[in-house]
Amino acid sequence: MIIAERRPIPEILQNIEGYEKVLVLGCRGCVAVCSAGGDREVAILAEALRLARTLSGKPLEVLEATFIRQCDPEYLEPLKKYKGEVEAVVSLACGVGVNLIADLYPEMRVYPGVDTSFYGANLSLGEWVEKCRGCGDCIIDKTAGLCPIARCAKNLLNGPCGGSQGGRCEVRKEMPCIWHEIVERMKRRGELEKLMEIWEPKDWRPAGGDGLRVRIRDDLRLNGGN
Amino acid sequence: MKNSFQITILCCNYTNLAEREDLASLLGKIEIKRYPCSGHIEITDILRAFKEGAKAVMVAGCSKGTCHNQKGSERAEKRVLGAKKILEEIGIEPERVEMFYVSRLDSGDFVEKAKAFYQRVLSLELKERAQ
Repeated sequence: MIIAERRPIPEILQNIEGYEKVLVLGCRGCVAVCSAGGDREVAILAEALRLARTLSGKPLEVLEATFIRQCDPEYLEPLKKYKGEVEAVVSLACGVGVNLIADLYPEMRVYPGVDTSFYGANLSLGEWVEKCRGCGDCIIDKTAGLCPIARCAKNLLNGPCGGSQGGRCEVRKEMPCIWHEIVERMKRRGELEKLMEIWEPKDWRPAGGDGLRVRIRDDLRLNGGN
Repeated sequence: MKNSFQITILCCNYTNLAEREDLASLLGKIEIKRYPCSGHIEITDILRAFKEGAKAVMVAGCSKGTCHNQKGSERAEKRVLGAKKILEEIGIEPERVEMFYVSRLDSGDFVEKAKAFYQRVLSLELKERAQ
């Protein structure tokens, strides 16, 4: 899922400094699961903004709402009712949600309430770790399912580098060297020789090097996509 | 300073039977809000107490291992830590909210801790007013 983290409150306050009525808008997708932008976080941020503005002598009216998703025009429909009612929206969705609001509601002022961090897994309560970088050209079929693009500090395609020591990464010693793990796992599977194969150069265009990434599936589209 | 200095106490309903009268010796207003369990106290409750005029918020829950709901007071402690972070971000001293583990069904312990917290906050207030 997409992992996000609430932005510092002073930055959010600065963005909405001139307004008297705003909407704090949560999302029940990834950001709710990683406890950054669901119902509870909406309530907390809204209360924090009210308190901070009360203390500064410029009270702020804060409406609260949480949509099922903010990355889908259909689920952003209810935002229409806030047009003209609030001066700005603080979205706790990932950057996708903020961008889509900006696209669909150009007359609304929308500000991010979270920083969108990475694609990660929830390993234990309160712990998320990056597992994928969305580079668009998976090579994990060749690396025992472990991604060196996301999980190697140097994004090496032919590791481990000379710096790894005892299976630990030299950049961050608390992290395992993912290439060490790949080699060990391939060895256990009796497939180590596969790592000796020469790979085609990795295609970085799907990683964004070819501009904005778009995916269209004609088999799912009706009426030209409308 | 009477009535100009409010402390709000958010606590589990079952840790003690103390009332405002038990804290009558303290100057100012003492607000006690009770919850079915301290684990039910949210960060928003703490922030709202400040917005409603509290100069400090005491959160009280049963001593570790004695919570009727197992981990309620430990959850409350986490929420207090979350509230401290937010208070700090918006320019309020984090020391103005504290978690207290109190002996279950011992109002004396609760009152003692409330009075000690009051004194600490009073010092903060006096220091602030002197500046």
